[in-house]
Amino acid sequence: MRAGIWGVVVVAAIVAAAAMWIHRPRAADESADGATYRAPRTADGKPDLNGIWQALNTANFDLQAHPARPALSLLPAPPRGGVPGLVRATPVALPDPAVRAFGAVGGVPAGEGVVVGDEIPYQPWALAKKQENGKDWLKRDPEIKCFMPGVPRATYLPYPFQILQGTDKIVLAYEFAGATRTIHMDKVGDSPSPTWMGWSRGHWDGDTLVVEVTDFNEDTWFDRAGDFHSDQLKVTERYTPQSPYHLTYEATIEDPKVFTRPWTIRMPLYRRVEPDKQLLEYKCVEFVEELMYGHLGVIDPATGQRNK
Amino acid sequence: MTKWSLLASAVVMAAVSISISMSLSAQQSATGSWTQPKTPWGDPDLQGVWRYEAAVPLERPAQFQGRASLTDEEVAQRQKVEEEQEAQRLAGNEGTAVGRGNLAQSPIRGNEYNSFWQDHGRPRQVFKQTSLVVDPEDGRIPYTPDAKKAEARAQARYGAGPYESFLDPDTGERCLTDGVTAMMWQGPNGGHNRIVQSPGYVTILHEEYLDRRVIPVDGRKASGIRQWFGNAVGKWEGNTFVVETTNFIDRTNYEWAQILTRPSETLRLTERYTRSGPDTMDYRITVEDPASFEKPWTAQIPIARLPNDTQIYEYACHEGNYAMTNLLAGGRADAAKRGK
Repeated sequence: MRAGIWGVVVVAAIVAAAAMWIHRPRAADESADGATYRAPRTADGKPDLNGIWQALNTANFDLQAHPARPALSLLPAPPRGGVPGLVRATPVALPDPAVRAFGAVGGVPAGEGVVVGDEIPYQPWALAKKQENGKDWLKRDPEIKCFMPGVPRATYLPYPFQILQGTDKIVLAYEFAGATRTIHMDKVGDSPSPTWMGWSRGHWDGDTLVVEVTDFNEDTWFDRAGDFHSDQLKVTERYTPQSPYHLTYEATIEDPKVFTRPWTIRMPLYRRVEPDKQLLEYKCVEFVEELMYGHLGVIDPATGQRNK
Repeated sequence: MTKWSLLASAVVMAAVSISISMSLSAQQSATGSWTQPKTPWGDPDLQGVWRYEAAVPLERPAQFQGRASLTDEEVAQRQKVEEEQEAQRLAGNEGTAVGRGNLAQSPIRGNEYNSFWQDHGRPRQVFKQTSLVVDPEDGRIPYTPDAKKAEARAQARYGAGPYESFLDPDTGERCLTDGVTAMMWQGPNGGHNRIVQSPGYVTILHEEYLDRRVIPVDGRKASGIRQWFGNAVGKWEGNTFVVETTNFIDRTNYEWAQILTRPSETLRLTERYTRSGPDTMDYRITVEDPASFEKPWTAQIPIARLPNDTQIYEYACHEGNYAMTNLLAGGRADAAKRGK
């Protein structure tokens, strides 16, 4: 019998190892469910997600798979000049003069994308608007103006955020713009008005923190490619611990005004393990005042001269 | 200091006020049997939404010179006035009826906003102390002569300008912050503070300007990175949460609604949060900064815990800062009128 029990143990170990192999983080379409990792528990027995986390991907440039390109803002295809009939190379995708000085710093790195299936199911009018948004990125992206980033974009901006688990509220503190969300784990009334960061109600599904986010305004975007939503947006987020050092973040997006069906993004988030790492200030309102208001006063502070 | 562009916010706060009025100050029910609750991991539990809503001026008014406390009769008289004024506010009356004849009459700034903008929903609480400032003994903030001039200048500019560029409005009007110093007792609109505790951290979410402090309580030292809100380090002394904040960034070059809240590199804050009952907290702050004050000063501030269903709402100040473009348009029109 002893040998029989050991046989079961060995088989179980092989199955577990195989399961871990299967569930190694690989691609954006990997399922977050069925993970074998069990998160440590807080003093009141909840999965412990406390810590500073950060995405490490190109989702904020473009949720979908994309090749590298020279800049976020490109000139429209320039006319071919020169001597008629002469075969010459033509320029493609030159940076807009407004961002040209950034050189290689201003380029867009390629990325595999984080959308499950890679398709964002826009309604036809909405796809056209997304493409316009992308072309007019420099004027339209709310990130440029230091506006609150919305959900899920706050998660994968290139800044860390901190999960702070209180006893009946969980705070998500984002570095960018000092944006904050309070996830109500207790019963809470409805949001009295639309918001930038949504109204978040959370619950635990096993080790997974599930957050239903509603009551958005229509002013935030999903990325720098112009992906957008309406005030009918509903986001269902799932934060699933996968190891002491990473978790899987999944967000399902529903918006019947803009999309033809719900769709999902998925990505790993990594723990910032530096000793005494803390969230620092990125109070960017101060950084964008000249851009937004410099030309509106009697005096432009950048030049000290009177505005025309 | 605050934004008059936040209509949605105000409507929300009016709703909050009504809900607050339904469950009047529970502090009277506090009994000697109260014991400080603990978090599941054993720290004193300060969680909830707190705000200052007492009728105590920051600095001692001249009429109470030499006196730290009101008499019982004066307390009763004040209580009556506060109740009358609250009834007037709820009736939609304004001006002297609600004690806002002019700016100087108010213990808090924000007088220039009518009742619509105020968080009140219950009468302000009356305490015996004649000023929040308890040290120095005269109850006055010991400004340096230069700082006194700067404060007089700030008062004269407030609401009057000139507004020639975005640097001319104060930091609040620019949607930056009114500073961390007065966070626990300031903000007639958006003065709520939600405290959330997690192992090793105390987080304070202040409604106005979305001000946020994530305070480590794990024995670490302050980081050397200078910030608007400095670097806060917390510890527990019995049931008292003690926070030392240093390494502030220098923003004395900006306009501030009140210069006592401006950060400089020499600013040092020491705060003590002690719950005295289920719905009351004794909050003390000691402010040291040779750039503005001749010596340290301490304020003792009674703050109140609001009902459990009180929420902090999203104060989207910068996102809706129509006031800035309007102020600057006004500045241009004014310059054109004066032929400049």
